[in-house]
Amino acid sequence: CKCSHAGDSAVGKTALTQMFCSDGAHFQKNYTLTTGVELLVKTVSVPETSDSVELFIFDSAGKELFSEMMEKLWEQPNALCIIYDVTNEQSFSNCAKWLERLRARTLGMHLPGVLVGNKTDLIGRRAVEQKRAEEWAEIQGLQYCETSVKEMENVEVPFHILANSFHQLYREKVETFHSLV
Amino acid sequence: MFLIIQPKLSERMKSTDLCLSSEGTEVILATSSDEKYPPENIIDGSSETFWTTTGMFPQEFIINFHKCVKISKLTIQCYLVRSLRIEKSLSKDPVDFEECVEKDLQYTEGALQTEEFSLPEFQATYLRFIIKSAFDHFVSVHTVMAEGLVDNI
Repeated sequence: CKCSHAGDSAVGKTALTQMFCSDGAHFQKNYTLTTGVELLVKTVSVPETSDSVELFIFDSAGKELFSEMMEKLWEQPNALCIIYDVTNEQSFSNCAKWLERLRARTLGMHLPGVLVGNKTDLIGRRAVEQKRAEEWAEIQGLQYCETSVKEMENVEVPFHILANSFHQLYREKVETFHSLV
Repeated sequence: MFLIIQPKLSERMKSTDLCLSSEGTEVILATSSDEKYPPENIIDGSSETFWTTTGMFPQEFIINFHKCVKISKLTIQCYLVRSLRIEKSLSKDPVDFEECVEKDLQYTEGALQTEEFSLPEFQATYLRFIIKSAFDHFVSVHTVMAEGLVDNI
């Protein structure tokens, strides 16, 4: 499962990915590409099945994500993860832009996606209410969760959401394959 | 049922499907492996069984005839494949593949894609199918048929 991460700089994309991938991974495979982009691979098991989903997460700085060099890498992503900082209104409003740019690469396919509000530990500084973000996510067909990488809260949740959604898509597609003959 | 092909008489023999596990053909590599939908389903002679890819492209599988065969027509039945490349090798080992054909397939809503490639007769011991891109996250490959003759034993 090729997972596109997007979001403004400093919202915690790298921190979230690193925290998730380094926590108890049995077969952690990290590659630092010469381009300054990191590919992280982690296997997530799907509850109530014997299957697991291998996530290929490309992590890069927000501004590099759509450079010419990255274009090729991002053909046909399987899942979207958009991250914003709950203390930063601008990072939330930019999510629409990130989503549009990611969806432009999906060739009309349905992609599971999750919107992640990070930095919930900064309670007094929250600028984006959870309800508002949830409503926007729902309209956009994204699932929603909030995390605090600093407090190690919910860091696995967005990845499990994506893995489960992707697995569900696979099961539906296999049903279609059966119905063809 | 077993069909026995006599080498010297091959020109007069009716051609047969060489892509059958019952003929000794094997799939020796496949880049996806859901054990419920294994690549062996491609060469079991049935369109009802299939191999699935489980995410990301390109994906490929390699068919080993275990002998040199002469092929005049290839047929693949699949679903949601967008860009397909077929390569052949005449080597003893699965190396030195050369392009046979590359094609963009049509999207067929709710029906199998059946793609026939009528090619100038060629020899091969291996065929490699590369699914370069697709119309969805996953594709299925139901059968591959290679019409032709066993060249020598």
